[in-house]
Amino acid sequence: MALLTDGSAESPEVDFRRLMRKRFISLSLLVVVLAVSAFVSIMIGTLGPIGPGKPEYISFGDAFGAIFQGHGHWPDYYDDVFWDVRIPRVVLGALVGAALACAGTAMQAVFRNPMADPYIVGVSSGASLGAVIAGLTGLAGIAFLGWLILPAFAFVTALLTVFAVYFLGAVGGKVNVNTLLLSGIAVAAFIGAVVSTMIYFSGQDYHRIIFWMLGSLSMVSWTAVIVVFFAVLVGAIVVYVFSRDLNALLLGEEVAHNLGVDPESLKTTMLIVAAVMTSAAVAFTGVIGFVGLIIPHMVRLVVGADHRTLVPAATLSGAIFLIWTDALSRTVIAPSELPVGIITALCGGPFFLYLLRRYGMAGESS
Amino acid sequence: MEAQRRKGSPKIVWVTLAIVLTAVFAFSGGYIVGANESGQPHGFTVIDDYGRAITLDGIPERIVSVAPSPTEILFAIGAGAHIVGVDNYSDFPAEVADITKVGDYNLNVEAVIALQPDLIVTGDLVNRQQLDLLATKGIPYVILADRTLEGVLKTIRLAGVITGHVSEANHVADDMESRISAVKNLTLAADVSSPKVYIEYDEYQGLWTYGPGSFGDDLITQAGGTNIAHNTSSEYPKVASEFVIAEDPNIIVYTTGPWSTLSSSTYHDRPGWGNISAVTNDKIYGMDANLLSRYGPRIVDCLEQLAALIHPELFP
Repeated sequence: MALLTDGSAESPEVDFRRLMRKRFISLSLLVVVLAVSAFVSIMIGTLGPIGPGKPEYISFGDAFGAIFQGHGHWPDYYDDVFWDVRIPRVVLGALVGAALACAGTAMQAVFRNPMADPYIVGVSSGASLGAVIAGLTGLAGIAFLGWLILPAFAFVTALLTVFAVYFLGAVGGKVNVNTLLLSGIAVAAFIGAVVSTMIYFSGQDYHRIIFWMLGSLSMVSWTAVIVVFFAVLVGAIVVYVFSRDLNALLLGEEVAHNLGVDPESLKTTMLIVAAVMTSAAVAFTGVIGFVGLIIPHMVRLVVGADHRTLVPAATLSGAIFLIWTDALSRTVIAPSELPVGIITALCGGPFFLYLLRRYGMAGESS
Repeated sequence: MEAQRRKGSPKIVWVTLAIVLTAVFAFSGGYIVGANESGQPHGFTVIDDYGRAITLDGIPERIVSVAPSPTEILFAIGAGAHIVGVDNYSDFPAEVADITKVGDYNLNVEAVIALQPDLIVTGDLVNRQQLDLLATKGIPYVILADRTLEGVLKTIRLAGVITGHVSEANHVADDMESRISAVKNLTLAADVSSPKVYIEYDEYQGLWTYGPGSFGDDLITQAGGTNIAHNTSSEYPKVASEFVIAEDPNIIVYTTGPWSTLSSSTYHDRPGWGNISAVTNDKIYGMDANLLSRYGPRIVDCLEQLAALIHPELFP
């Protein structure tokens, strides 16, 4: 894999050691930033310690007490505020950001197309269909159960859509990425039209679907956190395990084949893993755009295109990015919330353009 | 399932019974179970407008109201002093301005928890996942969201039971009822004409009006008019310009408010609308959007205004 390093090495061994050290430093830096971001954003909220502090102000001391000890000389509900509202939300934000960035990285490698994102094979429109069905049949209105039915429907229809796109796009058992790309766009457009039609006739029920479609981390629960956690854990590990193969695939399918990689099974594996990760995330939070498209590019500009660094770095960066954008979404117009998708695009767009200007397209490999 | 039932599986019988009972309760939404007439029981169960059974430990002392209509209802029945938090859209009566705000369709969950309410009253547009989360924290919610004139009266009486203001609520509802029947006695009399009415609440990317099953449709009918969009396909349909031209409404009502771009000249200037009766006779009227969309006590004001616009001869 010498091709993917600086190329100015004296010997492959020194070169490899330098690469390892660089990777170690950047990844541990990201882990530290992630931990600090998570902790600081748990402190951010309407009640404080970082925030307007209305109708109540929580001091830093009481916040630490409520988080680590539970009950004390502060009101009992502080415990609920941290453990049932903020902490699950921050954790879910991190997991969803990680899922989208990791899946986006995998999709960009498989499609060898800079426009590829986690939703490219129809996950978002498929999930919307499930959410609309759950909303319109009234199933999602059942208290205590309804909030699980909507994500369950969304997850299943998202996966079904991906499989439909896959079978429509795979001709003669071979996955041609261009055919897959186009069948993804066609199926997404078709399902999108079905969803719009259903929403138009949904009357009073439309708002349930619209909420979900706007994308928000406000519908958080520990169940959601656990489900998304396992999907992301397994997904990110699988993508990381195949990161060498993804490097080979960047050189073209024939070259990858000659390097001992089976491009067909690699593409199929990546599609499945990315679809499961994205569907799990989308099912609980709705479609949060931009993260899965931009984060892999941003990270690639900084750390390079070697997937052994890129996959974990993008996964961690996605988590950090969504933690901060959600913290902003909770605070900019407190006590109301600005949909997080607006903030991801507002912050991500200009920052990405800055990186693009600074590092230039040379750092991109697509 | 059919085969199992023939075998007489008791489980299926119970499940079926439970479903039927739930359906009956849902249908009779708004009725009260186990509350006595004084409204002061220790622990009671109410059925809200969505057919949900909510058990309260007692009369709630601290209430968060997260929709404008329930806020107006609670103030009208004298329970306003118990409201400790409201959503950003609640703006009537004026006292609401001083109450802590807790978000909009998406609630600020931690702000609600910090207020330590005993009960949340809500419309049906608020994020249910968040309400369910709060319910698991011991803060139940009641949905007040009936969208007919009859339903509003029922909702007000229900709010009276919930808050322990039974007599005030009944007084408000009775008063509204007599005002409504006073209007209906005139507007729905046999010899009264039923002019065609078109209500437009928005012209963003199309003409938006009230269709069958919606609040506006009910109000037009009770006020003695015929809604030109009564036979359309959805509750809030977007209609074509030529549909309105062909229906030739006698009266056009547009909504006014901070977001409204509509005015009388909108309709005079609209291409092809010059020969519509309402336009040639200049029977184009603005109406406060909040009056027309909130299922609270002010709905009677809306009905009276609408009836006076449609039948000026009956309301001199």
